[in-house]
Amino acid sequence: MNDAKAEKKEITFYGIPASPGIAFGEAFVVNVEDMSVPEEHVSVDQVDDEIRKFHEALEQTEREIKKLVRSLEEEIGEEHGKILDSHRMILSDELFRNETIKTIKENKVTAAFALNTVLDKVLATFAAIKDEYLKERTEDIRDVRRRVLRNLMGQQAEGLSNLRRKAVVVARSLTPSDTAGLNKKYVAAFITDAGGSTSHAAILARSQGIPSVVGLNDMVKHVKPYDQLIVDGITGQVVLNPTAETVHLYREVQARYRELEKELLTLRDFPAVTLDGHSIELSANIETADEVADVMSHGAHGIGLFRTEYFFITRSALPSEEEQYRYYASVVKRIPADPVIIRTLDVGGDKIARWVGDLREANPFMGWRGIRFTLARKDIFRTQLRAIFRASAHGNVKIMFPMVSVLDEVRSAKQLCEEVKDDLKRERYQIGENAEIGIMIETPSAVAIADLLAREVDFFSVGTNDLIQYALAVDRGNAKISYLYDVLHPSILRLLRDTVTAAHKHKIWVGICGEMPGSVHGALLLLGLGLDEFSAASYLIPTIKKIVRSVTYDEARALVRKTLTMGTAREVREHVERFIHEKRPELREFLPEAAS
Amino acid sequence: MVVGSVRVKNKNGIHLRLAGELVKGATRFRSHITVTKDGQEVDAKSILGVAGLGAECGAELVIKTDGEDEAEALAYLVDLVDNQFALEST
Repeated sequence: MNDAKAEKKEITFYGIPASPGIAFGEAFVVNVEDMSVPEEHVSVDQVDDEIRKFHEALEQTEREIKKLVRSLEEEIGEEHGKILDSHRMILSDELFRNETIKTIKENKVTAAFALNTVLDKVLATFAAIKDEYLKERTEDIRDVRRRVLRNLMGQQAEGLSNLRRKAVVVARSLTPSDTAGLNKKYVAAFITDAGGSTSHAAILARSQGIPSVVGLNDMVKHVKPYDQLIVDGITGQVVLNPTAETVHLYREVQARYRELEKELLTLRDFPAVTLDGHSIELSANIETADEVADVMSHGAHGIGLFRTEYFFITRSALPSEEEQYRYYASVVKRIPADPVIIRTLDVGGDKIARWVGDLREANPFMGWRGIRFTLARKDIFRTQLRAIFRASAHGNVKIMFPMVSVLDEVRSAKQLCEEVKDDLKRERYQIGENAEIGIMIETPSAVAIADLLAREVDFFSVGTNDLIQYALAVDRGNAKISYLYDVLHPSILRLLRDTVTAAHKHKIWVGICGEMPGSVHGALLLLGLGLDEFSAASYLIPTIKKIVRSVTYDEARALVRKTLTMGTAREVREHVERFIHEKRPELREFLPEAAS
Repeated sequence: MVVGSVRVKNKNGIHLRLAGELVKGATRFRSHITVTKDGQEVDAKSILGVAGLGAECGAELVIKTDGEDEAEALAYLVDLVDNQFALEST
């Protein structure tokens, strides 16, 4: 590396926003390389000493991991402690212990060198594995090796626990062990190459209110220690070596964000009601039970979408009824008076399902997913429904089925609910007798027969992300056509209008749980379309509440009447922006840069 | 000694966590237990050994148990793999 003198160029990386906020700071690049261990020989009478040191290091590591499990459970929830089960099993692995002791004795080497050699051999076995997925699962073994070596070689904390100044933590990925000794007050932001919004770094960042961007692909190799970084956890951008101009720009964005955040949080305890008294239900989407605290602190009224996939896919085996019951109940018990809408398993599509065998399909988005899957795997469906109905005894639980496209699916699922309820009653379980049953509206077919579906259920919740891609026949990941993916298309507005009309005609309520209410355009139009409930990520709740409280229902309805006559998404967008500029200028701060 | 075979059905094969489940299952028994895949034989009570097999979805595992509880051990482990490790949780 001799480019140290080269002029540092500003580079912008685009990743997945994982925790909102703007941060500035120097890079602290987490050392992801393995430690180097010198080959050191010992005399015959030192052999026993080395073996004793090895045992001590194992015990010490075991204690560290136990402590880590406890702190993980306290900080981000019981689920995350389980991740380290396999680490403890590696520590107590007989093969590993016996081979290391044998190597110390036979080769007269230090415990550190012996264990390093043994694990090198183990890792070589893994490298020979043909299956790509299995081959790559060696991070846990390396992690355990680093921990034991650290204890053996007498080095005090290394890696992240060395962080003694406020910095942006830059890593390929972050494991719970990596972040264990970390003093969070020194972390300005977390950014990682790997991971999605449910990766460990993302969850930790959100729980601590630290900005974070993940999924940055190959950002790490461009960043050197002490490089200047700007992290935008709202849009998912990371700027390396920003120019003075960029810094200035982001300082303004940061100041505005802080101002807004402060102002928005003052709205926490106010209802989501328009200037002329029309109120909507404003609730939050969650992926894990740990996020309930976020829901409450952002002033959402209950949970409009509790996704259950994450709980399933983070386990090596299917969760039992008892496990699921405790998990769902832990959420319900914390907010017993507020609605909690639990969506039954929605696997397939973009989600993984390693525990049900090979699900690879030529076209997963048009494949075996959502209610299609659960109706075919009644064993899994029944267990989940039993757990949900049992949890419903503790509060206001509603059940929602994803990916409905035909009437029969709803009838079969309802039939199964009745059977499950009867069974539970016979077995003397307490259940919430009046748990509402609803469906997601995310296929054009469901919209077309919304009037028929509305007779069968208690509510609808529109999943805009999927509805857009099915209605416009566009894969948002395909760069050539992603311009078509626009929530403001006249076709989408019409589908929403038809859904609301059918629901209200049959006296059921209709909500939305996609990303649409997160933009000012989306929120205003959804309000005017007459949706009864908005559910969005917790951090968006204050923004949506502010938008709803800034306008009248009448003017939102007028806005919708006008935009429904328009032919293109662009006209719709411009009309909404004209409305904001002319009638409600205080909403300008929610417009994207270009339009404000 | 008794011997049985079973195919891996889990989509991503036997990765570290599933290897851990298999080891947990094997350590319930007193018998000496090994798992063989493509001629590579490892101790079923070693997580590093089992994970190191790289048993992908569809791979055939030969399980050998030897000891006082060998029959139960074999039946239990074959079931465990055959049921995609779901036994642990129900």
